[in-house]
Amino acid sequence: MSTPSVDAQQATRITEVYVPNSPLVSFRIVVRTGSVNDPAGKEGLNALTAAMIGQGGSQSLTYQQIVDKLYPWAARISAQADKEITTIVGEVHRDHVQEFYGLLWELVSAPRFDADDFARNKDDQLNYLKNTLRGNDDENLGKAGLNLLMYANHPYHAVVAGTVQGLNAVSLDDVRTFHRAMYTQSRIIFGIAGGYPKELIDRIKNDLSALPAGSFSEVPLPSPVQPVGVEGMIIQKDNRATAVSFGYPIDVTRKDRDFYALLVANSYLGEHRTFNGVLMNHLRGDRGLNYGDYSYIENFIQDGGSTFPDPNIPRRQQFFSVWIRPVEPKNAHFAIRAAMREVQLLVDNGLTKDQFETTRDFLIHYSKLWVQTQSRRLGYVMDSEVYGIPYYIDYLAKQLSLLTVDDVNAAIKKHLQAKNYYLSIVAKDAGPLSDALLSNAPSPIQYNNPNVPAEILAQDKEIQVLPVNINKEKFTIVPSGDLFEK
Amino acid sequence: MMIKLSGAVLLAGAMLALVATGRAAEPGTSNDIFPYPVTKTVLDNGLTVLTIPYDSPGLVAYYTVVRTGSRNEVEPGHSGFAHFFEHCMFRGTVKYPADKYNDILKRLGADSNAFTTDDWTCYHIVASADALETLADIESDRFMNLKYSEEAFKTEAGAILGEYNKNYSVPFQSMYETLQNTAFTTHTYKHTTMGFLADIKDMPNQYDYSLKFFDRFYRPENCTVVVVGDVKNDEVIRIVRKYYSGWKRGNYQVQVPVEPPQKEEKVVHMPWKNRTLPYLMIGYHVPAFSDDDVQRASLDILSQLVFSESSPLYQSLVIKKQLVEFVNGGVDDHRDPFLFTALSRIKDVKDVDSVLDEIYAALENAKTVPVDAQKLRDIKSYIRYAFAMQLNKPDNVAVTIATYIALTGNYDSVNKLYALYEKVTPEDIMHAAQKYFRKENRTVVILEHEAAQ
Repeated sequence: MSTPSVDAQQATRITEVYVPNSPLVSFRIVVRTGSVNDPAGKEGLNALTAAMIGQGGSQSLTYQQIVDKLYPWAARISAQADKEITTIVGEVHRDHVQEFYGLLWELVSAPRFDADDFARNKDDQLNYLKNTLRGNDDENLGKAGLNLLMYANHPYHAVVAGTVQGLNAVSLDDVRTFHRAMYTQSRIIFGIAGGYPKELIDRIKNDLSALPAGSFSEVPLPSPVQPVGVEGMIIQKDNRATAVSFGYPIDVTRKDRDFYALLVANSYLGEHRTFNGVLMNHLRGDRGLNYGDYSYIENFIQDGGSTFPDPNIPRRQQFFSVWIRPVEPKNAHFAIRAAMREVQLLVDNGLTKDQFETTRDFLIHYSKLWVQTQSRRLGYVMDSEVYGIPYYIDYLAKQLSLLTVDDVNAAIKKHLQAKNYYLSIVAKDAGPLSDALLSNAPSPIQYNNPNVPAEILAQDKEIQVLPVNINKEKFTIVPSGDLFEK
Repeated sequence: MMIKLSGAVLLAGAMLALVATGRAAEPGTSNDIFPYPVTKTVLDNGLTVLTIPYDSPGLVAYYTVVRTGSRNEVEPGHSGFAHFFEHCMFRGTVKYPADKYNDILKRLGADSNAFTTDDWTCYHIVASADALETLADIESDRFMNLKYSEEAFKTEAGAILGEYNKNYSVPFQSMYETLQNTAFTTHTYKHTTMGFLADIKDMPNQYDYSLKFFDRFYRPENCTVVVVGDVKNDEVIRIVRKYYSGWKRGNYQVQVPVEPPQKEEKVVHMPWKNRTLPYLMIGYHVPAFSDDDVQRASLDILSQLVFSESSPLYQSLVIKKQLVEFVNGGVDDHRDPFLFTALSRIKDVKDVDSVLDEIYAALENAKTVPVDAQKLRDIKSYIRYAFAMQLNKPDNVAVTIATYIALTGNYDSVNKLYALYEKVTPEDIMHAAQKYFRKENRTVVILEHEAAQ
C-alpha cells in the first residue's frame, strides 16, 4: 500500500490511502461531532442525526431509492457515532465509484430529513435503549453501566445513543439545525482509500469547498471524578449469569508517551480475545470461571467478527477497564475478587524484563494485523490525525522500541491502582450479591472439577477473602428498566 | 452504536469481469468467480492442502478445516461436543503444552482462534508469512498429538458453560435453540452447535468420550489445510509434508440420521423474562447445500427477491408501515437438509400476526408472480459484487474457500455455485417457492415478553 497523504489545506482536508491495484474504494467521512455535542435534555441528537444520513434519504432520493441504487452494486453506507467523532463509512467496487460518491456526498451534505425516516430512526434508537440494552444484551449493559458510573456530571455521561427522555425531546427541526451546525468544512475530514481514479479527488475538493465553513471548537471536558473506594451499582435483571465491568478514568491517550508503556502493561494483563493476558489465563484457563476476561486502556468496540477494535472512535479522555464475561452467579463475587487481585499484582510487581520484552514484541507484530483492509488502515490514519500523532501503527512500533521495562513499571505506578474502582454488575441476585460485597463475606469458588491443582487452591484461599473496599454510600441496586431514562 | 444501511444478507459472488483487475492475482480459469489460483495437493495420508497466493505482503492466513461439527454428534448426551472439542484443542501436547503453544503465538504476534458450526470446525491463524514453518509445526503437533489432563478438560467445560451463559441474554440464541429443537425430530440439527444445556452441564464427566472423539474425527482424510497470502506453493508443500506426513488415517464413518418430512405446521411461543420487543423466527425445511441443483440455488436468489432491503416486503414493513425494525431471510448452507429462516423484530406486540401474514403473503407471491428481468439482473449483480467485496484480506479469502471445503469437500463448489446462479430463471424461483414454502413445512417461533403473553 502507498504512504497515506493528507491535504494540508484547512478548507478541504482529505486523507488518501491510494491502493492502485485494489478493486474496492473505501470512504470514511469523519465529522468532529459526537454525543458530547448533544444539548442538555436532547441526549441522542448527534446519533440520530448520523442515523438520518446512514439510514435516510438525500434531497434528491428517498431512503428506498438509495437502497435500490446501492443494491446491485452491493455497496454499503453506514454511520457510526461515538462521544466525539461521527463517521460515515462507505464502500463500493470501483466500477461504480463515481455514481456512488455522488450519492454518498449528497447524503452527508444534504440529507432529506424526511419525517418518516425520522420516526423510524428515532424508534430504532429508543428501542435500542429501552429493549436491547435494558433487556437483551447483558455484556453491553454492563459496559454501559460502567460508562454511567465513570462519567456522572461529565459530557461523556450518556451512552452514545442518548437517553429515553432526551430522544423523546428531539424534533426533526433539532436534527436539521444540528446538521447545519456540525456538518461543515471546519469539522469534516474526508478519507478515501483504494483504487479510486485520481480525478475523483478534485471533485471531492470542490464539494468540500462548497460546504459552509462553520466553526469548530472542542467541548470542554472537565477532569473525570475518580472513585473513592469501590463505587458502583448492581443492575438487577433476570439472567443466567452475572456480567461485570470495572475501571476508572485515566489521563493518557495515544498522544501521550505513557500510553505506550500502559499498552504493554495492559496487553500483559488482559489483551482482548487472546490467551496472552494473566486475567484470561487465571480466571478462564486455570479456573474455567467464564468465557473470557480482558482489560483495556481505551474505549474498545470490537469490529464485527474480528478481534480488532473499530477505528474512528478516538476520545480526548480514556479509561482503564476490566471486562469479566458472564460468570455463574455462585462464582461472581469470587471472579470480581480474582480479577481485582490480578490488577493488584500488576500494580505491586509490574512486569519482569522477560514479560516486558515478549509482550512488547507481540504488540509490535500484532498491531500490523489491525490494518489488514484498506478501510481499517484509512480509519487508523484518520484517528492519528485526530490525536495529532504520526500514523499510529508506525508510531506505536517506534514508541514501543524506545521503551524499557522500567518505563512500563513506572507508568503502571503512575496511572493504575487497584483499590478504587467504579464497578458495574448485571445480576439476578442483586440483593444477596450486594450484601456479600458490602460485608466482604468469604466467597469460595465452586468448581466442576474436584481435582484442582494445590497451588490454585492455595491462591483461591487468598482470593476468597480478599477485601473489596466497597464505598457503602455509593453502591446501589438499580433495576435495568430504570437506566438510560434521562 | 452502528447504524447500517444496505448489504443485508452477505451472499457471495463476483464474475471474472469484476475481479480480474483486483489485487494483482490472476484468475483461476476463465469462467470462475473465485479470482485467485488454487493449488490442491493431497498427501498420501489423505490430508488435502490448498495454497492460494494473495497480494498481502508479509502476511499469511493458515486455516485448518475439520469436516466435523455438531452434525456429527449422533450419540445421545453428547450434543455440543464438537464445539467443546474445539476448546480442548488449545489444551496442549507433550511437545507444546498450552502455555508454550500460546507463548509461540504471542512471540509471532499472531491472531489465532477457532470456531465451530453445525457442519465443521475451523482453526485459524493470521501471522507473518515468515512464520509459516512454525505454524505448520505447532498446528500439526496438536492435530496429531493432542494430550490434555482430565483436570484441564473439566476446567475447560466451565468455559463452555460460560460461553452458553454469555449468549443466553441475547434472544436470537435462545430462539435458534428452540427453532432447531422444534423443526427437527431426528437429525442432529435438532440441537445448535452449542448443544443442549443438560449436555453442556454434563461435559465435565465426558473425558473418555473426548478421547474417542479426537480419535474418530481429527484424522487427515477429514481435514484440509488452507494457506492464503504471501506464500509459494512449493514451499508450503515442502513444509506440510515435513510436519503432517506422520499423521495416520482413521476409518470412522458417521451415520447421521435422516430427517423425515415435516407433516404439519409447528408454532412455539417463547416467554422472555426481561422486557423485550417481540421477535419472530420462521423456518422452512429446504435441501442440503448443492453446487448443481438449480432449484436449491434459486432459493438464494429468492431470499434476495423477498427479503433484501430492496424488496417490497422490506419497503412495506420497515420503511412505509414501520411495523418492524428489520426483516431478513435466507438459507444457511448446510451439508444436510436444513432450514430457510426468516427473522424479524416487531415494534409492537399487537402487530405480530399482521407481520407474519405479510411475510407469508410475500412468499405466496413468489410462487406465482415471475420476477421481472431487470430485478433478476440486479439480484445477480448484487450477489457477484458482494462476493468480490468480501475478498479484501487473506483471512476472508481463506474462510470463503474453507466454507465450500466444509460443505462439499471441494473448493471448486464456489465456482460451480456462482455459475449456477447465472442460470436461475424466474420459473426456477417460482418452482422452488412452490415446493418449499408450504404451511406444513414450516416452524414458527415467537418470542415475547412474558407479561405480554
